[in-house]
Amino acid sequence: MIQSRNSQVQDLLQSRMSFLSNSRIDSLPTVWLAIVLLGIGTAGCDSVGDRFESNRIFAKRWELTESIDLSEPLADSEVVLTEFFGTPDEPKWPKFLNAGKGELVSLQNLERVAGAFSSGEKGEHKGLFREHCVVCHGVNGNGRGPSSALLTPYPRDFRLGKVKFKSTPIGHKPTKEDLKKILHRGIAGTSMPSFSTLVPEDIDALVDYVIYLSIRGELERKLIRDAAIELDLEGGERLYDPGSKEKYPEEFAEVRGRIEEWAVDIQESWFAAENAVVNVVGPPKGFPLVGSGVDAKAAAASVANGKKLFQGTIASCAFCHGAEAEGDGQTHNYDDWTREWTVMAGLNPKDKQSLEPMVNLGALKPTNIFPRNLTMGVFHGGSSPEELYTRIVNGIEGTGMPAAPLKPANSQGLTNEEVWDLVNYLRSFLPVEDQSLESQETNSDSFSEEDASK
Amino acid sequence: MSASDELALSPASGKAVYASGVHRLAVALTVSVFPLIWVGGLVTTYDAGMAVPDWPGTYGENMFAYQAWLFGPFDLMVEHGHRLLGSLSGLLCIGLVVAAYLRDERVWFRKWSVFVLAAVIAQGVLGGVRVLLDERTAAMIHGCTGPLFFAIATATAVMSSRWWFERNGQRIPDRGVGPGAVGQYATGRFIALTASVLTVTSYCQLIVGAQLRHTTGAVSPNEFKGFVHLHLGLAALVFLVALVLTLSVVAASGTPKQVRRVSLLLAIVVLCQIGLGIGTWLVNYALPWSELNATLAAYTIAAKGYWESMVVTAHQATGSLIISLATVTSMRAWRSRASLGH
Repeated sequence: MIQSRNSQVQDLLQSRMSFLSNSRIDSLPTVWLAIVLLGIGTAGCDSVGDRFESNRIFAKRWELTESIDLSEPLADSEVVLTEFFGTPDEPKWPKFLNAGKGELVSLQNLERVAGAFSSGEKGEHKGLFREHCVVCHGVNGNGRGPSSALLTPYPRDFRLGKVKFKSTPIGHKPTKEDLKKILHRGIAGTSMPSFSTLVPEDIDALVDYVIYLSIRGELERKLIRDAAIELDLEGGERLYDPGSKEKYPEEFAEVRGRIEEWAVDIQESWFAAENAVVNVVGPPKGFPLVGSGVDAKAAAASVANGKKLFQGTIASCAFCHGAEAEGDGQTHNYDDWTREWTVMAGLNPKDKQSLEPMVNLGALKPTNIFPRNLTMGVFHGGSSPEELYTRIVNGIEGTGMPAAPLKPANSQGLTNEEVWDLVNYLRSFLPVEDQSLESQETNSDSFSEEDASK
Repeated sequence: MSASDELALSPASGKAVYASGVHRLAVALTVSVFPLIWVGGLVTTYDAGMAVPDWPGTYGENMFAYQAWLFGPFDLMVEHGHRLLGSLSGLLCIGLVVAAYLRDERVWFRKWSVFVLAAVIAQGVLGGVRVLLDERTAAMIHGCTGPLFFAIATATAVMSSRWWFERNGQRIPDRGVGPGAVGQYATGRFIALTASVLTVTSYCQLIVGAQLRHTTGAVSPNEFKGFVHLHLGLAALVFLVALVLTLSVVAASGTPKQVRRVSLLLAIVVLCQIGLGIGTWLVNYALPWSELNATLAAYTIAAKGYWESMVVTAHQATGSLIISLATVTSMRAWRSRASLGH
């Protein structure tokens, strides 16, 4: 009986284990060999370095508003941009940009950041942009990297040359220091990480690369806009035709010279940022800054006054941020990065059908820009008194947050002390342990006390 | 190997014997592959795949003679460490083949051990291909076949175990017959099937996860979004299948403890993995509704930060562990069915 059962079991096992029969086992190495060959065969599948993708969405915007076809100018712009700025693998920095005020961007830094990433025996990294930035910001810095559609807010499109958190007023470029600060600190509560683990040379190189992509992108936009408005495309006029260099050298030189001038002008706006930094006029002597440990009662009074100003009509903060600063004011606006391909193209951001041509070109679904809930005590652009002051008097680029009106330029505006009351009100939301001025990266030592004569 | 470690050939059946040396080598191989996968995960997390630009040598030196890795930058340490651990697994595979041919009388198992050796070599070559071609896609394939090899190593350990032999109808002479002895318990067909489904599903899930891990700028936002949604859908499926498996095992009192224990462990690991998955998204991209909570609103991701890197790497390694545990569960489940003549 037992023997019979054993025999049955044995037969059954043989059938169950038939997947391990000799012939199958012989074929298994073949399967693995196929996997190895697949690995070799994938060469080039992930290549992104041979060209920058054109700004087809911006071109489409002008095609819609001007009823023209911009496919040829778009191809021409790609040619000239490649001549000037190279490719993601082999970036260039045109020499004519270094002729004036010197070197805004170092080619050595661009070469350090561009291309596929790798690291050397001494720990030096190359290909930093693809290592750290591409997944969100995309190869050409268009803010449409692979992960972008799932992030809130969407990653920044560098090609507009606009940065939110900076020391310069709206309409001005950020300084290199502003960009370094963002990279070093990251932005809390968003997908923008802190790169504080990187060596300073890497941060410097990344800043140069961001400026490089911005200038390249701004010039591309200028080329497309010029083609749409100024050129007689139907009459056969070309934006840039390298083929005409030998046939019509003077005309070619004129066209190229004009484009170079545009690039120089854009670069000039970046140089100008250093001189546009807004001076932080410190509070009057003895002003009870929250966190300074001076006169808690006076600080509470300043906070109360700050709240009143916040809710008032001059600063008008509550209109967007809500009466209690919870971010529940108006919530139906769009930022400039969305407006430029929707509203500016005559499209309703809520009308899915009209957005279809843009979405087909890769535009991300428009999302409203939500005013911050300030009661969380988390300030994206930094929470030091100096940084909050700067944001109040400068506004935030591209977001609809305007600069506060100030006296004496505006007779109805806020006084400097009232701005500091607002700063105190905002800082009152910080967790107590973060209020101390000693815990800030920048503190009251970084600005001078208010000059009574101003 | 002591005499008691060897099961004598049953004169009646003429069946193969359990060889403890072979099993120990198979277990050692399996145990060596898990840290290999961890360190491989660190290589991806730290983008250190090209920290050593040549292969099979290291900066022109014999990889075993190269010493600078111990005191060099972290990237170099994890990449070179990964190669050394891979070599260790390779050596254990060679030992397994030798031991199988010397000690294991099952012809198919000997061939299987050769396959295991071929697989580890192929996996190493694939890693080399990734370096020599500097290809992210090749890296992704290497990352997907790693866990597959882990499952193969695990299967080898299961098939060389004493329990596997016992379930072949052979009794260990000195154990006798009694409660808990061979043949007393069997696994239901549904449980065996569910465990198999879990193995396949969790491997599919890992492949999708690898797509997300090795994303390049060439991937469109819609493709990435599709992979994320697929990964979430498969996560839900893996969770459901694991839940069904656990409930079935708990409900079926006749399930052998060798199946029950592993399946319960598997359920715990799946739960941990879901937490690690949420954590991975958080430390990579932050949550879209961060302002619901002050802690989330204040959290700043640290690029290549220690905890960020550990969470992401643990998520990837735990995915491999799930496949390995599911492999053990399903193989034991089918084996314990087969031995009772189902």
